[in-house]
Amino acid sequence: MAASVREKQTVALKRMLNFNAPPLKNTTAEPVWKVLIYDRFGQDIISPLLSVKELRDMGITLHLLLHSDRDPIPDVPAVYFVMPTEENIDRICQDLRNQLYESYYLNFISAISRSKLEDIASAALAANAVTQVTKVFDQYLNFITLEDDMFILCHQNKELISYHAINRADIQDTDMESIMDTIVDSLFCFFVTLGAVPIIRCPRGNAAEMVAEKLDKKLRENLRDARNSLFTGDNMAAGQFSFQRPLFVLADRNVDMATPLHHTWTYQALIHDVLDFHLNRVMMEEGAGAEPSPAGARPKKKSRRTYDLTAADRFWQKHKGSPFPEVAESVQEQLDRYRAQEDEVKRLKSIMGLEGEDEGAISMLSDNTAKLTSAVSSLPELLEKKRLIDLHTNVATAILDHIKSRKLDVYFEYEEKLMSKSTLDKSLLDIISDPDAGTPEDKMRLFLIYYITAQLVPSESDLEQYKTALLDTGCDLSPLNYIKQWKAFTKMAATPANYGNSGVKPMGLFSRVMNTGSQFVMEGVKNLVLKQHNIPVTRILDNLMEMKSHPETDDYRYFDPKMLRGSESSIPRNKNPFQEAVVFVVGGGNYIEYQNLVDYAKSKQGKKVIYGCSELFNAAQFIKQLSQLGQK
Amino acid sequence: MEANSGLVPGRTLMGWKNPLRRRTMTSSIGDVSVCLQGCSSANMAVDITLLFKASVKTVKTRNKAIGIGFDSTKDEIFKRSRPKSGFSPRAKEVISNITKLKDFLLQHRKDYVSAGSLISSDLTRMTDNERDQIDQDAQIFMRTCSEAIKQLRNEAEKKITSTQIKEHRGAVLDLIEKYLRGVCKLYSEQRAIRVKRMVDKKRLSRLAPEHHSRVEKPREVEPVEGKTVKEEGSEKSVSEVLDNTVEHLWEEVRVEDELSPEEIQMFEQENQRLVSEMNNLVDEVRQIEGKVVEISRLQEIFAEKVLQQVS
Repeated sequence: MAASVREKQTVALKRMLNFNAPPLKNTTAEPVWKVLIYDRFGQDIISPLLSVKELRDMGITLHLLLHSDRDPIPDVPAVYFVMPTEENIDRICQDLRNQLYESYYLNFISAISRSKLEDIASAALAANAVTQVTKVFDQYLNFITLEDDMFILCHQNKELISYHAINRADIQDTDMESIMDTIVDSLFCFFVTLGAVPIIRCPRGNAAEMVAEKLDKKLRENLRDARNSLFTGDNMAAGQFSFQRPLFVLADRNVDMATPLHHTWTYQALIHDVLDFHLNRVMMEEGAGAEPSPAGARPKKKSRRTYDLTAADRFWQKHKGSPFPEVAESVQEQLDRYRAQEDEVKRLKSIMGLEGEDEGAISMLSDNTAKLTSAVSSLPELLEKKRLIDLHTNVATAILDHIKSRKLDVYFEYEEKLMSKSTLDKSLLDIISDPDAGTPEDKMRLFLIYYITAQLVPSESDLEQYKTALLDTGCDLSPLNYIKQWKAFTKMAATPANYGNSGVKPMGLFSRVMNTGSQFVMEGVKNLVLKQHNIPVTRILDNLMEMKSHPETDDYRYFDPKMLRGSESSIPRNKNPFQEAVVFVVGGGNYIEYQNLVDYAKSKQGKKVIYGCSELFNAAQFIKQLSQLGQK
Repeated sequence: MEANSGLVPGRTLMGWKNPLRRRTMTSSIGDVSVCLQGCSSANMAVDITLLFKASVKTVKTRNKAIGIGFDSTKDEIFKRSRPKSGFSPRAKEVISNITKLKDFLLQHRKDYVSAGSLISSDLTRMTDNERDQIDQDAQIFMRTCSEAIKQLRNEAEKKITSTQIKEHRGAVLDLIEKYLRGVCKLYSEQRAIRVKRMVDKKRLSRLAPEHHSRVEKPREVEPVEGKTVKEEGSEKSVSEVLDNTVEHLWEEVRVEDELSPEEIQMFEQENQRLVSEMNNLVDEVRQIEGKVVEISRLQEIFAEKVLQQVS
């Protein structure tokens, strides 16, 4: 996997947008314009990868939703990027009948069925538009890549394949089948785009196993079909620099219920937990009350700002996994550096005014011509830097407000201690009853983690005490019902061993660590330093990747789609440790797991790990699903 | 548009001997450049266009069997009659004109930029007049294209069409403008190089008109024989004379083994003076050189900005 999956998907999209031909490298080529039509799935796939400016640069003048009112623009070719669903096909046929565009390049996100293709054919015939349908492609891009090493299945309609959908008590077999088919279709597209056939490992007896079996079958069928196999030919050879196949680990969400509820301390995970963050876009309300409004004035109108956190943002790439205090410091540093550069430019400006005054100025002037040239050419760079600094200042400030008002640092520390069974300095009840610390949801999360990680289930009387305390603060107890069931059900007790020896070393309070010029007054916030520890999913990956023997993973099934006979044995034939792995959590995942895997991969030289999950949720969303499940 | 285009290749350059070949644009979308196929960014998308065509055939035969027929020929003719003076053909025309300019500039780039070698027997050497002509023509052409784009934009705004079409046309014009800017950049790059070379040439010619070798040898006190340096004027000629006399003296005195102390002192003083003069010259030259480079760079940037503003 020399190029990351993000690059591969981006390249595939760009090729598609260039009328399914590789884009020429010549920068002064004649522009060719086109319109892009997508459905919501297509939009979600494209938006983290290509900005509107990049689309424009590729000649796309308009980008429109399929199911919107579109006017005929008869002299323009149209590129479609949609899922081959019934309604989408109907709309395409309608477009053909209405002669909206000059030519049509149809690209289906996942493979279209023969019968639906015939529907389009007959509509094209009826409208005399057959020659206008220039190209039809199956793109196999039915997944969303958020980072170089992270992907999710979908954002639209994710409730159809959510944790709740998979684990609800009243699920029918047919429902389960369709959910599994959806998941497998996306995973299949993922491996097609990656260009590799993995070795699959999965636990027994849960949704992950079902996914593994179906995926194995699908890959196997495709490999057998020599004519249409997607995994052979030049395409494979060109992309592969490693001779080893990747390991694909399927995990079920139920193996670790504490991590999705955990409070977090790293930048990206905090943004996801605390702010509105989807598809690499943060949405915030500006002017949300840090400044007191003068007496009698109208309250400041809250404007919504959206920020895109992209691969090009170097600060983001460097710090998205850093602990928050480090981020705050770095933003401050960047700001200071920027101000120095700004001053330099201003100084040049004032020197220009001294022209002709004295010898010294004139000699400085000629020296400054060079500086001026460099200043003018670096101006756009400087402005871009400023924009990013503002962005991160705003985001970090918003997060800091949350941390301070909800005392998130306290929760984080406490939960880390619970998960590693270190000694607790405060009793749980104290924290729950404390009116200043956190929202009811925070308290619920804390309590659930306590319950999940407790070796012995708390006694009835204790439980009642906790329940009353929780109810007093306004919590809804239905998630607890579900977790109780889950705990009774799961054979694996979430022992402290599962969470490793985490250490959270508080480095004392941040009384006035940063000088008064700083934006970030972290007064009273603990400066916590994370020690590397492995959460369950990471540990499972480690065992399987390094071929270690461990009671947890010894029982895992083994699938190799390339082997001629479907093997039921769980004895891996490959004895060497894997260099590349893809970890997928069925039932949902979050950035904490992702970050943990990134840290793990960094600690191992030369290993690459990709993280994927069926849906991405933050703790609030997860609790909602648990409540729904607990209410049955 | 045809009447306005000032640049017709082959006719405006006076005395330009090379026949202009017509360059065909090879940017058709169907071209798959061979070099890109072996790259690691393989696309796994499957082309099912043939499958689609097959489906069309299937449906046709099925419809025939059922008895549904479609009246194809009449509609085809009606569809093809698109407005000739519509937005799209005119936009495409502007693009093809800009492409012509680009081809022209690229074709003559080498000759335009070629270091004016002083050997005038070189056939491909362009005269400065020709270069000026190219500059002028290119500028007129760029202005014309830019105005054509503006005109199209005004028209597009006045026409009553849907918002989507308006947005689309605006974006199309932006794309064309970007293309024009790219081509203008080609031109201004060439021009900057030419300006720099001209200044370089002037500099060289000021200091050493007949000598091809460089003058910047600071430490060597080479007798500058037979040169007329305009700057130094009389001082230099005096020193030249002195040098000549020194040389003659030297020859005469060669017989004697020793020089008288006054002569030695005089020679030493002279040496010192010459050395310091040389040093000053060199510093001056370096400064000018630096300034020129900066000026040409600035000029490039400003030309770009000005063109941006104009368009």
